[in-house]
Amino acid sequence: MDMITNWLGNTPDFAVPFALAALGLILTERAGVLALGAEGLMLVGALAAIGAQLAYGSHGVSLLLAMGAAAVVSLLFALMVLVLRINQVIAGLALVFFCQGLTGLLGTLLDWTNKPVKGQSAIELWPLSELPLLGKIFVQNPLVFMTPLIVLTVVAFLTRTTTGLRMRAVGENPQAADAAGISVLGFRLVAILAGSALIGLAGGYISVLSTKLWIADMTGGRGWIAVALVIFARWSPWKALAGALLFGCIEALIPQLAAAGVRLPQYFVLMTPYAVTLAVMIWVASGKNVAGNQPGALGIPFIREERR
Amino acid sequence: MNEQVRPVMLEQVSQAAKQPKPPLLSRRYALEIRQQLAWHWQAVIIGLALLLGLGISAAILVAAGVPAGELLNEFVVLTVFDAQSLKAVLFQASPMILVGLAGCMAFRAKFWNLGLEGQMIWGAIGATAISLLEVGPPALRLPLMLAAAIGCGLAWALAPVVFKLRLKVNEIISTLMLNYLAINFLLHLLYGSWKDPRSSFPYSPQFQPFERLPELFDGISAAVPLAVVVALLALWFLGISRAGLYLRFVDANPRVAGAVGVPVQKMIIGTVLISGAMAGIAGFLVTAGQEGRLTQSFYQGYGFSGILIAFLARNNPVAALVVALLMAMLFVAGRSLQVFYQIPFSMVQLIQAILVICVASSDFFIRHRIRRVQGGES
Repeated sequence: MDMITNWLGNTPDFAVPFALAALGLILTERAGVLALGAEGLMLVGALAAIGAQLAYGSHGVSLLLAMGAAAVVSLLFALMVLVLRINQVIAGLALVFFCQGLTGLLGTLLDWTNKPVKGQSAIELWPLSELPLLGKIFVQNPLVFMTPLIVLTVVAFLTRTTTGLRMRAVGENPQAADAAGISVLGFRLVAILAGSALIGLAGGYISVLSTKLWIADMTGGRGWIAVALVIFARWSPWKALAGALLFGCIEALIPQLAAAGVRLPQYFVLMTPYAVTLAVMIWVASGKNVAGNQPGALGIPFIREERR
Repeated sequence: MNEQVRPVMLEQVSQAAKQPKPPLLSRRYALEIRQQLAWHWQAVIIGLALLLGLGISAAILVAAGVPAGELLNEFVVLTVFDAQSLKAVLFQASPMILVGLAGCMAFRAKFWNLGLEGQMIWGAIGATAISLLEVGPPALRLPLMLAAAIGCGLAWALAPVVFKLRLKVNEIISTLMLNYLAINFLLHLLYGSWKDPRSSFPYSPQFQPFERLPELFDGISAAVPLAVVVALLALWFLGISRAGLYLRFVDANPRVAGAVGVPVQKMIIGTVLISGAMAGIAGFLVTAGQEGRLTQSFYQGYGFSGILIAFLARNNPVAALVVALLMAMLFVAGRSLQVFYQIPFSMVQLIQAILVICVASSDFFIRHRIRRVQGGES
């Protein structure tokens, strides 16, 4: 019983990075830019947040700096895909490897590796936190409670505002959007910056609120899982949130099993998030309506006045 | 087409001569697609991009604490002109060549094989299993290990390509996820049943002397000729064999290729499997050639290197040999920087990423030119 309470209580903590990263990816990809760089940008956010935390000790500042750092690095990606029209797969992969190298180097040279930082004290959502069995779900750090609000904001932006409509138009049919007087590259740049900031926030969450220290390559493929999550959420933020909760459940279960003394081969247990990602991708792909809802111009560079 | 262009250009030139030059900011510029660019200009542009990348890398190295005067020494003199280091470079180059070729193969089939590390790990696990289970007589042990490495690497590449062709599962993510599975399985073995009982470190027992790749002459490991032979086979496959011709069809236009009777799916599956097998051989070379046992991090850095070599070599196996040699120099220099200047090995990955970004960017200048648009025009 205790185990289930703890497991459910820890789930949001593991789910938030997936949700934020997937949300950032959706924002970028809805504007038609294939964003494979999430893994790298999460690392940048995580490292920046730890650095700020060690220097200033304020979680708010750290998370803001994580967003800023990821957005700045994503300018490199924007330069590659928007100005230089590099294949977006190559640009995304290069960005991931660039960020892995950069954060590994800086983390060691600045001596930020393995330095624990203080966590954020939890907020209790009072009447709900007294619930039996489910109570612990409502004792979380502030960013967990803000995550659904961030999702709501993004959904409202994409579906209820003219700017959001224009952004989706840019992702669906850039030629038509351009003819209607919408700046395709401008919208894509903003989408990349905003999406990357959210991905950086996810990374910062992992380093300063969840694990509370920096190790090289600490995101461990979560960025790639987020990319897969976006594919099987069909670019819908709410479905991505649900998927993030699923992966949060799985990741939260791993330490609980170990604590409960269940004798399972440790490394097979560690494989589960990746195996589940594979399984879900195959399951989704074998269903109907495979490419439904994918932004029409995803991954295609926009070039005005040019024959194809 | 030159004849058509020339009058227009002449007209422009005469216009430009007549009109006074507009101030700089009011001039407009337009991008044009070049029809083609002579190969030597392409080489110049790529060369400049590489120089820019190396310049940025050098600046980062200096900022990280390597004395500027030592850079040339570390990266060129101490890697090529020192007999001991040259051996190390050649040794390092052999698995590099194989992962680079594996990358070339997969990219020729338009398959983003990011699972090179996983396939390498399985190749190494296969080879080590033959050693630990003592399969076959000692004389046949090395060939059996090689065969097991090929089989395991190939098998690990099968699922992503089949799922890609049958269900359109994105191979970038599936191969990466399979890497994580392979890494965790490797750790499971090394911290579990395959751990060397005589040591507290997570690695397998040392191979027998006859299970290690011999040194042929002058201290050069058998890994080097093996890698060259595989490279020649790859060259034959891609450049001369009928399969290579089919593959170019598939690469150019899968639909047309299918319509004229090329077995498109079989070609893609076969090529990706060969790619996996080559990565498996690379794993075998590292374990049986360099380490002499299965270790927990032998594969690190090879996955990206393979993709980078294939990208820089434009999927050409001969060019891949050259680029792999340069990458091996970078690796050897990176290790010595780690020892002498405490610079983490991530530096190598950063330099590789910078080089890729610069060369990928140079493509833009090969395909486009910037033309000034006259004020009245447009």
